[in-house]
Amino acid sequence: MALVKPITNFGNVVTPKFGNTRSTSSKTSSTMIRMSSSTKKSSTKKAIKETLLAPRFYTTDFDEMETLFNTEINNNLNQVEFEALLQEFKTDYNQTHFVRNKEFKVAADNLQGPLRQIFVEFLERSCTAEFSGFLLYKELGRRLKKTNPVVAEIFSLMSRDEARHAGFLNKGLSDFNLALDLGFLTKARKYTFFKPKFIFYATYLSEKIGYWRYITIYRHLKANPEYQCYPIFKYFENWCQDENRHGDFFSALMKAQPQFLNDWKAKLWSRFFCLSVYVTMYLNDCQRTAFYEGIGLNTKEFDMHVIIETNRTTARIFPAVLDVENPEFKRKLDRMVEINQKLIAVGESDDIPLVKNLKRIPIVAALASELLAAYLMPPIESGSVDFAEFEPQVVY
Amino acid sequence: MAATLTQRCWAAPGVKLNPTPQTLTRNPKPKSLSLPLSANSTCSLFSFTPPPSPTFTKSSSSSSSVRTAVAAVESDQLSSAEKKPSRYYFVVANAKFMLDEEEHFQEQLFERLRLFKERNNEQDFWLVIEPKFLDKFPDITRRLGRPAVALVSTNGPWITFMKLRLDRVLSESFEAESLEQALASSPTNIEFKKPDKWVAPYPKYESEWWGPFLPPGSKEEAKV
Repeated sequence: MALVKPITNFGNVVTPKFGNTRSTSSKTSSTMIRMSSSTKKSSTKKAIKETLLAPRFYTTDFDEMETLFNTEINNNLNQVEFEALLQEFKTDYNQTHFVRNKEFKVAADNLQGPLRQIFVEFLERSCTAEFSGFLLYKELGRRLKKTNPVVAEIFSLMSRDEARHAGFLNKGLSDFNLALDLGFLTKARKYTFFKPKFIFYATYLSEKIGYWRYITIYRHLKANPEYQCYPIFKYFENWCQDENRHGDFFSALMKAQPQFLNDWKAKLWSRFFCLSVYVTMYLNDCQRTAFYEGIGLNTKEFDMHVIIETNRTTARIFPAVLDVENPEFKRKLDRMVEINQKLIAVGESDDIPLVKNLKRIPIVAALASELLAAYLMPPIESGSVDFAEFEPQVVY
Repeated sequence: MAATLTQRCWAAPGVKLNPTPQTLTRNPKPKSLSLPLSANSTCSLFSFTPPPSPTFTKSSSSSSSVRTAVAAVESDQLSSAEKKPSRYYFVVANAKFMLDEEEHFQEQLFERLRLFKERNNEQDFWLVIEPKFLDKFPDITRRLGRPAVALVSTNGPWITFMKLRLDRVLSESFEAESLEQALASSPTNIEFKKPDKWVAPYPKYESEWWGPFLPPGSKEEAKV
């Protein structure tokens, strides 16, 4: 999974049925906390404000997952597709890719002032997001071993990728004399529960949007090397191919469970997940424009490009997607950014909690109504050609 | 707007997916070179860093089975040298889709080429412009925008994976006596109109990127 883990619990805004985050634990950012589990975890943990938009850790209903992919119960699993994916993951394109060099430390030392802090936060969030993918996939790999060894092995190989990514980012943090204590993170962070079908929608989008973010940054920096201020971006091209493949696997998982793709509920959920992922990214990134400007990108243009491309990719599997190329969609996003800024301003004011909460009510209502309006914009019917009723008439 | 995208996504019933569609935003500025090769070419000389933590790595188990897969392919090719027909798998779609619109496809092919070189594997995948083997597949050609481009490989599972990735492609397989026969193509000019609106914060990939993937000896005829 990639730079952001863009899932929020906006669920309770749009539809109450959606799994709420069970807690808002504090994101532990650790100064000089080593990740080895043996050393004592001491030292200055500065709590970073946990918001709706922070990267999350997920857990799911593993028993249901076992049933869904049990080859004995479910005969129409497309094992050929899974075997093909397994071969692709075993190929291990990036086995020797994540090797650091001396440029890292030098570049980190040259990053000073506000940009330095922003970079640290970027590495930290990205590392957390990748690591959360590692934990989830690792557990799925373990749990599905008996009922579907092929699917289980793919999950394990994906957790291999995520571990590599997280480890590489954590090494990056060491250039700034920091390290995330991942063992501690595993235990201390609260997990968000998603039913399997929501895991599929969410992680599919997360992987594909991750691909588009990484490749866009990579290609932009390739064309504008003067902004290449930290060598990690040079690794993004190969790196993000992993994300893209992970997304493909979730495509196959969903195709193996057509009930998650072929009815009106699936369409509503598809739109819902698209919206929450896109909005989360947009609001997140608009709070961190300094980072994107620091590498020479216009934050909103970057995000819109990523959203449009992710949406086009997603249209190959989700039964419905949002009409993000309609200019009205971006206008709505921009209004949400303004509202979100007001919300943040209230939080940072000196009012007593009760007053803050009262002040929040109309702002949250405004945000909810924008979200709902965006959700209700006429969608675009989409999906894999493998499921299209009129497939025989399609001209390729 | 919605209608156009739908059409793009679906090539809606009865609508022919025109090889030069009304693309919305994927459109280049003036050409500029940006082949996605070796971002890390300078990186591997330094000390190899072992995977991040012993608690979460398990990459070693994977390589052996790759070799098996590759070995199988190689023996496949050997047998073709002995005039035993080999099976070729392919996905096919119109050239615009394969070579111009799907930029991740190019990244994948270069990634695979890089890997094959690193591991000294013989290339077993090619892009064939207007392949002659399509004549054997009237059910496919009936539904195909022209000119057409096929991705052909002796590695069947990989083509299955590529079908999953690309989705808007048709997939089949055939047997051929030799590589030359399998990859024969009709001379065709491939030229794409430059998109008039390009909003990505980077230049489009250079046209002609597909050169390294054309069958040996076919580069001349494929030239524009």
